[in-house]
Amino acid sequence: MMKWNLYSRGDKFFAIVVSVLIGLFTVATLYPFIYIAAVSFSSGFAAQAGKVVLTPIDATIEAYGYILKDPQFWISYRNTFIYTIGGTIMSLMFIIPCAYALSRPQLKGRRFFNLFIAFTMWFNAGLIPFFLNMRDLGLLDSMFGIILGFAINAFNIILLRNFFESIPQSFEEAARMDGANDFQVLWKVFIPLSKPAIATITLFLIVARWNGFFWAMVLLQSESKIPLQVFLRHTISNLSDDDEFAIVQTAAGFSAETVTAAIIVCSIIPVLIVYPFIQKYFEKGILLGGVKE
Amino acid sequence: MSGVNLSGIVKSYGAMQVVHGIDLTVAEKEFVVLVGPSGCGKSTTLRMIAGLEEITAGDLTIHDRRVNRIAPKDRDVAMVFQNYALYPHLNVADNMAFGLRIRKMPKNEIKTTIDDVAEILGLTEYLDRRPADLSGGQRQRVAMGRAIVRHPKVFLFDEPLSNLDAKLRTQMRAEIKRLHKRLGVTSVYVTHDQVEAMTLADRIVVMNNGAIEQIGTPMELFNNPSNTFVAGFLGSPPMNQMKGTLTDSGALVGDVEIKINGATGPHAGRNVIVGIRPEHVTLTAEEGTSPLPINLDLVEPLGSEALLHARHGEDNLVFKANTENDIDSLSGVNKVHIPAHLVKIFDADTGKALVLGD
Ligand SMILES: Nc1ncnc2c1ncn2[C@@H]1O[C@H](COP(=O)(O)OP(=O)(O)O)[C@@H](O)[C@H]1O
Ligand SMILES: [Mg+2]
Repeated sequence: MMKWNLYSRGDKFFAIVVSVLIGLFTVATLYPFIYIAAVSFSSGFAAQAGKVVLTPIDATIEAYGYILKDPQFWISYRNTFIYTIGGTIMSLMFIIPCAYALSRPQLKGRRFFNLFIAFTMWFNAGLIPFFLNMRDLGLLDSMFGIILGFAINAFNIILLRNFFESIPQSFEEAARMDGANDFQVLWKVFIPLSKPAIATITLFLIVARWNGFFWAMVLLQSESKIPLQVFLRHTISNLSDDDEFAIVQTAAGFSAETVTAAIIVCSIIPVLIVYPFIQKYFEKGILLGGVKE
Repeated sequence: MSGVNLSGIVKSYGAMQVVHGIDLTVAEKEFVVLVGPSGCGKSTTLRMIAGLEEITAGDLTIHDRRVNRIAPKDRDVAMVFQNYALYPHLNVADNMAFGLRIRKMPKNEIKTTIDDVAEILGLTEYLDRRPADLSGGQRQRVAMGRAIVRHPKVFLFDEPLSNLDAKLRTQMRAEIKRLHKRLGVTSVYVTHDQVEAMTLADRIVVMNNGAIEQIGTPMELFNNPSNTFVAGFLGSPPMNQMKGTLTDSGALVGDVEIKINGATGPHAGRNVIVGIRPEHVTLTAEEGTSPLPINLDLVEPLGSEALLHARHGEDNLVFKANTENDIDSLSGVNKVHIPAHLVKIFDADTGKALVLGD
């Protein structure tokens, strides 16, 4: 760290501007979390009246009591886990071998395949054809359909392919001399060396699956199959025009707002728990020492 | 049975041919060094033997089995890479065991093999370390250990010492030589360093521009280079080469006649290159020498000897002189004496050595 006194006047100005911007950005990112958490612990009246700013008003856990008693909440929570874990594993099973193959110079037609995959990042069939495709494959209202249908993602493949390409050729050659076949080169050398990259895309996949909403809503009909995000959506629309609920909630001390906020908080918690475990793989320098450049 | 045999080996990358038909037989247990300037095709040749590059044309056999189309893993060869290529995520023991595990060697056998080899290489106390926590010399040893544990038919080395500092290089060079004596495995070793080649090789293969210039024992090549390229490549400093013309009794270099053993008469008038090794000249006239006047530019003391950088006409020359007497007196040197029996003659046009009759 450089001594502050050694900064030139311009550098000082720059450092201050950067710090202020980072501060603002942090607040802008963090505030919605705090707000939602505060709302979820506030009374229905306070939330409806828009009194909540930073901390819970008339603190209560009634909203949590309401949703935790709803069996549909637990069903969709479980489903979200299934989609996230199953989907992430399925994706990795496709993405890793695919990225490895595309990164190998000896792959015949490599440029063509690379172009073809990148192409799908900018152009795709569109919503209706995709829906029809899923329908014709018999994957509507199917949990497996959700897991399989979104397993492949060009961006992640290209990200990992680039990482594989940056691994010195001599590791593969050494492994081949040691008797490894393609699968062993991938499994015993490239995957261990790519932990940071794989951790990154795993996190991308988990977050995307966890928050996956649109296609789940379009493709799934059965309440028993919907994920948490779709349940949240149902809750929001049901509660706001349910007169009976309006009466119950007034008596009970929660509202559509606080229940929604409580569901959101519940859905954020697992991601917060998982993140530190994945983050430790974002370490640099794993390639250091093996080869001498 | 030959260890490795290359016959008419050609390598092309697309339309560009980089290795132009190499013939070489490496005997079993022999240590052969491919040496040549950077880019001359040494690594490419070695990698074709390893199976890491496809062979464009020609035949490659290992222990008399044609292996052109055999995968590297089935050729029973092991390679030490220039950059070591140790697996960074594995410790020393696991690096060495990698190939054995893939070959499904039983666990206890792996353990004894690794322990033995670690003992030989002095790596026993480092078996738990990752490559990142080792010094250059230790990494180099692990890379060799990984090759040794497999007991292959052939060792291939691609400039294994070029990443080490000078002192360590000398040390590892000796260690490689000792290992070869002990294990007696057929070895092909690539380097651009002629000192490594001279010290390690049973036989040296000098390569240039994708072809072999000469094959022979270090002393054969040193004493009887078959052309100016080999003469200028081996030896440090390399052989001095001066333009000249043959006469009845020797060679005329500028206006000075240098006596040469052998019958120059039949070739009189021929344009030649006159070669003399830096260490072969004397500073005093002796029986059978002829004097060569020089303009001394610089004296470089090396300790027990000194290098004299000098000019004769347009030719830049380097000579070695003893410093036993007095280094200051060397600055007054204005001629050297060339022993007739040590002068080499090459054709000026082809660069090929001229063999003179008696
Ligand atoms: N993959 C390749 N594609 C095209 N040319 C190559 C390739 N590999 C090596 N070459 C060329 O082949 C020649 C010999 O290379 P190399 O065997 O590595 O030389 P050396 O090991 O003697 O320094 C060089 O001119 C190099 O540019
Ligand atoms: Mg090379």
